[in-house]
Amino acid sequence: MSLPHSNLQGLKGQNRIRLLGIAFSAFFAAITIQLGQLTLLHHAAPANPELADHEPRQPRPDIVDRNNVIMATDISVSSLYADPRKIIDVDEAVELLTANIPDLDAKSLREKLTQPGRAFVWLKRQVGPDERDAIYNLGIPGVGFVEERKRVYPLGRLAAHTVGYVDVDTKGIAGVEKFLDDQGALYTASLNEPETHSTAPAQLAMDIRVQQAVTDEVAKAVVKFKAKSGGGIIMNVETGEILALASLPDFNPNAEDKHLTSDQQNKLTSGVYELGSVIKAVTFAMALDYGTANLNSHFSTGAPLQIGKFRIHDLHTHAEQSMEEVFTNSSNIGTAKMALAVGLDNHMEFLRRVGLLDRLVTEVPESAKPLLPRHWSKLASATAAFGHGFAVQPLQGLSVIADMINGGIAVPPTFLKRSKEEAQALAHQIVKPETSATMRYLFRANVQKGTGEFADVIGYRVGGKTGTAEKVVHGRYVKDKVLSSFIGAFPMDHPRYAILVMLDEPQAAPETHGFTTAGWNAVPTASNIIARVAPMLGVEPQFSAEDLAKLAKQAKTAKKEG
Amino acid sequence: MVKLANAFLVVSVLIAAFFLYSLEHKTRGLERDIAKAEKSIIDEREKIKLLGAEWASLTRPDRIQKLAEEQLKLQTLTAQQIVPLAEIGAKVPQTPPLKLEAQNADEIGKMLESLQ
Repeated sequence: MSLPHSNLQGLKGQNRIRLLGIAFSAFFAAITIQLGQLTLLHHAAPANPELADHEPRQPRPDIVDRNNVIMATDISVSSLYADPRKIIDVDEAVELLTANIPDLDAKSLREKLTQPGRAFVWLKRQVGPDERDAIYNLGIPGVGFVEERKRVYPLGRLAAHTVGYVDVDTKGIAGVEKFLDDQGALYTASLNEPETHSTAPAQLAMDIRVQQAVTDEVAKAVVKFKAKSGGGIIMNVETGEILALASLPDFNPNAEDKHLTSDQQNKLTSGVYELGSVIKAVTFAMALDYGTANLNSHFSTGAPLQIGKFRIHDLHTHAEQSMEEVFTNSSNIGTAKMALAVGLDNHMEFLRRVGLLDRLVTEVPESAKPLLPRHWSKLASATAAFGHGFAVQPLQGLSVIADMINGGIAVPPTFLKRSKEEAQALAHQIVKPETSATMRYLFRANVQKGTGEFADVIGYRVGGKTGTAEKVVHGRYVKDKVLSSFIGAFPMDHPRYAILVMLDEPQAAPETHGFTTAGWNAVPTASNIIARVAPMLGVEPQFSAEDLAKLAKQAKTAKKEG
Repeated sequence: MVKLANAFLVVSVLIAAFFLYSLEHKTRGLERDIAKAEKSIIDEREKIKLLGAEWASLTRPDRIQKLAEEQLKLQTLTAQQIVPLAEIGAKVPQTPPLKLEAQNADEIGKMLESLQ
């Protein structure tokens, strides 16, 4: 035992310990610094691609109307599934399940549960909460629930054509729902709020109160005139927003099996119709815009117009009519002459300019292409002038006429809410403002003393044009099957809203004195709609001296009868 | 001296370990609370959605119209009944046309009184 030796050893050991100590301190210091950096300095967590994959899927946006009333939303429901491999007693399971869910079929259920080698089979999608609790309490092994999203439409049939619907896997099938899935992908993405994993609702231009008024009045008219179908639209002429669109018969988007017939489709966008005399308004705007006719022009309409083998007739013959009279009497001869004065090429060019030759595309994907005359001849031009031989979507007809009276500015119609500024960015002038002013005068005159007389809702300055188009059956025009329509706007001194009412094959009712022309069915319907919706839309009533005289007269007769 | 230092270190390690453990325990508890709160937020959101859908369904205009037609005697508003703000003074009658209290027919007023 020698002390120096052990001292030396101790010294050696102390050195080693020191070295170790330094190494440890360095190590811990490194950890501390790293820890400090991570926790104190980098507050934002670095983006982790692995985590991003597990983020919940962005939910499907709700659809709301312009006043935030929910039109379509997702609710959570449970779907019942089974794992056949895990089921111990199939007979017991079948018995218990069919006892608790009456609409399950025992035979097919047994088949499902005895499939060998399958690990997953749906038993019933979208089970109600009561049934779910009951099955939970049974505790059958191998049977479970998956939370699923179900799309519901709280408003039911109301506005079903616009909103559309989804299939059982919540994929859009029709209407705006389909738009959200395909062309509108960018739009849908813009609604996402990644911070909260939520989605802002898609806001429609629709006002459900207006929609209800339109649907209700059109439905009443369809019953009253025993029409095959009917439709109504209200559109804002400044922004192109469609506030209401009703096509009857409609359907219930909440029904599981819809089995839509062709009658139930949206006729206002997916069907094309010869709108008849309503289209005369376009011809008038054309003649005014090219300067080939003005309010002082007169047309001799005494004799039928002969073009080749064909003759164009009027319903009521007048020897000579001013431009205003041609409009208010809805003279085919006068209108055809006006189109011929403009010329074939100019007529075609004008139709292209206002957009009647192209398919109108909106957010609602069901849209039809216009049907145009195959050969653009003198006869085709003359008949197209009063709406024969070319068919368009009713919505397209309304949109074009709205453009003629809103100052001559083309605004593409939309089902989504749009501000005035957004509309202005999309708009462009298609006819001169003076043309538009004359058109407004003609529309108002037609309601004051022409075919649209029954549309005059006193105070709201309604203007409009009627159309009664004979329908083509087997390539021939049939007299007793007509499509009657009314396109108008109010208030006519500064139009804000355009309206379309369409009735397919209306029959004469007692109060129409045997007539099936639009003036007796579509026009009164439009009048009822305007009386209901104008106050909702904030259209301020104004009365002219004539209106007041008319009101006084009405009050007098009412007093006498009362 | 070394012994004292070692003892001090051992004690501080124990204290640190205990502190760390309790901190972790607390953190776990808080995490559980957060998860619970998040779940209940989701549940509440679901409930709000369900109630929103129910509200929209119950207040849908066709249903309200039907109820109003059955229960109330209302007519469509005509343009003549709308009075601009400037003319409202001229349209207010001097004496109210109906004095409900006088006729002892103010049922809503009675209901309100009974509530108070």
